[in-house]
Formats: sequence, C-alpha cells, structure tokens
Amino acid sequence: MTARSLYFVNWWADTLIIGGLSILVWIALLAFYNSADTQPIFWLSLVLSLVVNYPHFSATVYRLYQSAENIRQFPVTAWGLPLIMVGAVGASLWQPNVVAPYFLMLFLVWSPYHYSGQTIGLTMVYARRAGFSIGQRERMALSAFVFSAFVCGVIRFQRNGSSGGFIDFYGMSVPVVPLPDWMDAAAQAVMWTGALVFAGFAAVWCLRQKRLIPPIVLLPALTHFTWFVPGAGLKSFWIVIPFFHSLQYLLVALAMQLKIRIDVAGGEHSWRRIGFEARRWGSRNILGGVLLFIGLPAAFSWLPLPLLTTAGILAAAVNIHHFFVDGVIWKLRDAATSSALMMNIADLVGPAVVDRARPKPVEA
Amino acid sequence: MHDAVAGIVLAGFAGSAHAADVLGGTSDPVSATPREMFLAAGIGAMVMCGLTSFFLAGRVTERTHVALAMLVVLIGGFCLFALFGLVGREIPVAGALVLLGLIGLFRLMNQFEVRRNRTPRTKKGSDK
Repeated sequence: MTARSLYFVNWWADTLIIGGLSILVWIALLAFYNSADTQPIFWLSLVLSLVVNYPHFSATVYRLYQSAENIRQFPVTAWGLPLIMVGAVGASLWQPNVVAPYFLMLFLVWSPYHYSGQTIGLTMVYARRAGFSIGQRERMALSAFVFSAFVCGVIRFQRNGSSGGFIDFYGMSVPVVPLPDWMDAAAQAVMWTGALVFAGFAAVWCLRQKRLIPPIVLLPALTHFTWFVPGAGLKSFWIVIPFFHSLQYLLVALAMQLKIRIDVAGGEHSWRRIGFEARRWGSRNILGGVLLFIGLPAAFSWLPLPLLTTAGILAAAVNIHHFFVDGVIWKLRDAATSSALMMNIADLVGPAVVDRARPKPVEA
Repeated sequence: MHDAVAGIVLAGFAGSAHAADVLGGTSDPVSATPREMFLAAGIGAMVMCGLTSFFLAGRVTERTHVALAMLVVLIGGFCLFALFGLVGREIPVAGALVLLGLIGLFRLMNQFEVRRNRTPRTKKGSDK
C-alpha cells in the first residue's frame, strides 16, 4: 500500500469530503450557532443543493441511463421502477391526505437508511485500500454499529423535529413512526456493542500488522455517528447532512466516471483531460439536478395542489428511485466496480493500463 | 388463546387503520373510501407485476423475475405501511415492529436486480 493508493485524491481532499468537513461544521454550529432560527442555514443549504445535492441524484440517473447497454442489463430498474414511482406519485397527488403522508414517511425513514448503506460501502472501500480485511464478523459488527446509529438518529430526528406527532416537510404534515420509549436504549446498546467489537477487530489487526489502522478507514463510521447521534440534537446541523452525504457520493462517482472516460487505450492521459471530463460531468449533473428538482415540479404546477406539495412528493419519488439505482450500480462484490474503486485519480495521468475488469458504463 | 391474541391485535390494527366497515359482510363498491381505492390500485399494480413476470417466462433472466417479485413485495409492503404505519400510537411495541419491518424491506430492496452468484439447484429427475 502506498500513501497515494489509500485515497481517491489525497489525504486532505478525502478526509474533508468523507467526513472531516461535516464534523468541523458540526463543531462550529455547536459552538457558534446553537440557535433555533435555522432559516439562514436553510437558505445556504438550498443554494448548495444546486451544486451538490441535486447533481448527486442526477449522477446516479446519468450513470444508469447513459448507454443502451445499461438499460438492457437492468430493465426492471431502468423501466419498471420509474413506472412504479410514477404510480406512487400519481396516487400521492390523487390522494394527498391518504397516500402522500405515508409515501413521504417511507422516504424520510429510507433516506437515513440509505446513508447508512453508503457509510458501510465507504468503510469497505477504504478498508480494502488499507489492506484491512473485512470478513463476515467484522461486517456484522460494523453493520450493528451503523444501523443502530441510524435507528438512534430516526428516534432523535422524530423527537426533536416533530410537533404533535407530525413533521413539517415541504409544507405538509407527515406523521412520525411512533416508537416505544425503550427503543432508544436498545438501539444504543446494540450500537456501542457493535462499536466495541469492531474496535476490537481493528486493534487485533494493528497488533498483527505492527502499525496503526489508517484513520480514513474509521472516518465514515465516525462521521455517520456524528450525523445521527450527537448531530441529531442540533436542528441547524441536520439541514446540512444531505449536503455532506451528497459530497461523499460525488467524490466516488467522479472517480468512477473519470476511470470510464479516461482510462481507455489510446486516450489522452493528462490533468487537462481530467479537468475537462470533470467539468463536463459536473455541468451535466447540475443541469440534470435542476431538471429533476425544479423543472419537474414546475411541469406539474398546473395541478390543483400547492406547488410545494407537488415538489415534496416528486422529491420523495426521485430520492426513492435513487436509493434503488444506487443499490444496483454500486455493488462492491462486483469485480469491475471494486477494481475502479481502488484507484487514485492521479493514476489516470499515467499511461493507460486497460484493466480486464474495467467497468463498463453500467458497472461503474 | 391464539384466537384471543389475534383478536386483540386485529382490533388494534383495525382501529389504527380505520379499516373498512365490514358489518354484515358486505360493502358497497361504488362508495369505496379513498383508502380502499388506494388499496385496490396497489393490488392492481401487484397483479400487473405478476402478469408481466408470467408473460415474460422463458424470455428474460431469473434476475428480472426476482426483481418483479421484489416490486410486488415493495407495493404490498407500502400498502401495509399505509394501513398500519401508525399502529404504534396505540400499541407502542407494534411501532417498533413497523420500523423493523421497514428496515427489512429496505435491506431486501438493496438486493434489487443485482447479480446473484448462486448456482441454480438441479434436482434429479426434475421435470423438463
């Protein structure tokens, strides 16, 4: 393992994007902005959404639909799922008081679960890069920690963000999932047990290898913990959590896209080309995100419903579609995907070494 | 004993879900409530998925059939969630079960249309 092969970019970029920045923001908000007035943060996050959150959804759509081969390989995801989402949106718009609250409830619980999946995926990627083998036992301990933190987060978000058993989402009153009082303690017990067991495995590895485990391996889980346990008590912080989740995603998705576009025989391998591809991919995804989250609701503005309601329902559908597509296209057990996730962007500047397991667009 | 437990659970669920009035064992299909109409749409979507799988038999991969089956689970799960999602307001333990059920659904959907390394099981003398 070299210092370069451990990161997608370098120590600074990976550490900040994977979680360092979000932890710093949490500390800063805790110290300087523990205010109930979240409006300034809300508007700031809305602006950041245009360049980070929305493009992160668009990047998934782009990856799936960028070639006909992709669509042929995953027909149900490419065609069947959007039809189901259209049906769910139609039902929600048709019965905004009967169906929409449950559709939004489903999205609001699924969203942090999806973040948990990304945390585990990132930990696996960096562990593999560091040579720290994550077998079944290690994965079980990590999952216990991450998914219990998610349950703790759901409980805290609901407790701190609801009023009279409802959460305000895009101007709609969405009921919370009522949970028994003992559930928080039970989730915490599982979470700390998982953390201790995983830390034990990491300690054994350190002793055997006679070196410390690179902190980047543990950073995704630490970040996840910050988001869902202490961070869930700070309303101004949870508004920006989706931004940080999207930032993590964009780093990995960009690396993958560059691998697909640049790492081909006969292609130009230079920083200029990397910059050009990154700008092209970024601008397309910004445009795609605007279409998904602004254009789509605007297209349905003729409906006899408040525009915010339509936008909220469509946003939930785009999110749920994203959760599915992500599950399909980012499987580490796939040799081609895992091969691309092991590279450093600077590797693309050298001469092309066309990998037999190189991802096709769909696999990337 | 089992009947008593089932009765209590059903009574709780029925109250939470505002289930259809089945007094007399009949219901008027013309005056269906919005919830009943939604459930009918959900059942219709599940039937469509089943029919799609049936008509595509032999033409698509096993993975596609599994994905269609998972869509049925998703739609059915969502219909149940719309019916019993708030049952925890009356029975707190059931609220925990709803959350665990959702987590199970999400875990299952995480396997949606992914490659499976499982080799098909072949039985001796299986029908051709």
